[in-house]
Amino acid sequence: MTNISSDVIRGYNDTIILYLLLNKPSYGYEISKQIKTLSEEKYIIKETTLYSAFTRMEKNGYIESFYDHDITGGKRRTYYRITDAGRQYYQAKCDEWALTKDVIEKFIQKTEQNGGINYGNN
Amino acid sequence: METIRNYLDTMFSGLPNTVEVAKAKEELWQMMEDKYTELKNEGKTENEAVGTVIAEFGNLEELAEDLGISSFIKEDDESELSGRKIELSDAKNFLADKKLQAYMTGLGVLLCIISLDGAIITDCLLDNAILGMLFMFSAIGIAVAIFVFSGITSSKWNYLTKETCHMDFATTEYVRTRQEAFRTQYALMLSIGVLLCIISILPPILFSEMSIFFADDLGPAIMFFIIAVGVFMIVSASNIQKSFKTLIITGKKANAYNSYSTPAQKRRYNNPKINAVMSVYWYTVTCIYLCISFLTFDWHITWIIWVLAAIIEALIKHMDMQL
Repeated sequence: MTNISSDVIRGYNDTIILYLLLNKPSYGYEISKQIKTLSEEKYIIKETTLYSAFTRMEKNGYIESFYDHDITGGKRRTYYRITDAGRQYYQAKCDEWALTKDVIEKFIQKTEQNGGINYGNN
Repeated sequence: METIRNYLDTMFSGLPNTVEVAKAKEELWQMMEDKYTELKNEGKTENEAVGTVIAEFGNLEELAEDLGISSFIKEDDESELSGRKIELSDAKNFLADKKLQAYMTGLGVLLCIISLDGAIITDCLLDNAILGMLFMFSAIGIAVAIFVFSGITSSKWNYLTKETCHMDFATTEYVRTRQEAFRTQYALMLSIGVLLCIISILPPILFSEMSIFFADDLGPAIMFFIIAVGVFMIVSASNIQKSFKTLIITGKKANAYNSYSTPAQKRRYNNPKINAVMSVYWYTVTCIYLCISFLTFDWHITWIIWVLAAIIEALIKHMDMQL
């Protein structure tokens, strides 16, 4: 099975996290769980990676942190909320990805559904 | 849960105590705790939950720049490249091999001691010294074969004590759990073993009181048998215990500095000459004990040799410290 390369995904961890914060504030574990579920368990983000992204984005002003109590229990957690700058940054990253995807796609050899390689001469 | 806390503490143990570091630790702890709780609620076992949380923790290197701890992490990183990593599967194999080896060594020793029984029993029952000798030497032969075999099979693990090795935290914790699980059995085997050795002197005493046929010979025969079983338990238990210790030392040092080079075999004596002589001290004593005992057959008194030997060893140790 192919594993996701951490080098490749590194540039898009911010995008993934910001996407999950678009609609509502969230906290560390919830985000990591959502990443796991939405990626169909193909990408499991490491705790250190996640925390590193939080601190970096907070420094850059893309997210803000605040303390709050859990809805269910009484547990106090650090929540993160997206800022306007964060939304702009997210949009920019989405555009960047669209472009990146377009470019890289041109260099990816297509494999037919039946498994054979299409050399483009049939 | 305790394990995860320990893990996090060890990971952060070498780092400066700044606000950023403390905050990072707190946040990471929160995430790990949440994940652990959820995994447990999903019905995972303690081991599975702890294993997953630690495996998915990541690497402090990623935080180095944000926390201003690059200098600390880099040092560790360099040394981490050196040495051989002991994976969880290696540790499991090692423990399994060592366990088998422990029982084999125990069995070998048991055969050596029991070999005497053959001689005694056949001598008094069948009045046939040759058959007894045959039994004795074949038992010793099998024992030696077992020693050689277990020595060869375990030699593949020699690198653990000879090379620079390191082991990650999860593996160390696994070994620790195994050792913990073995604790009761260890204590039990050890005390039963010692107990058997002590009560082994009873049969000769009891049988010598009774004046039945061949009672004089049966006493020692039973004594040797009881000693054999006792020694088997002591040898097996301590060898298994030793295997846990070997691994845990590797892991403990590795996590304190993130990497660990096994120090050169610690010398017990400062003076190299004394050290060389003392390395064969107990073998020599055993040899002397067996020789004198077999020659004189004064088993009831020759055990004094052990006491004397221990006193002499203590004296030599004392001398060595003064040198």
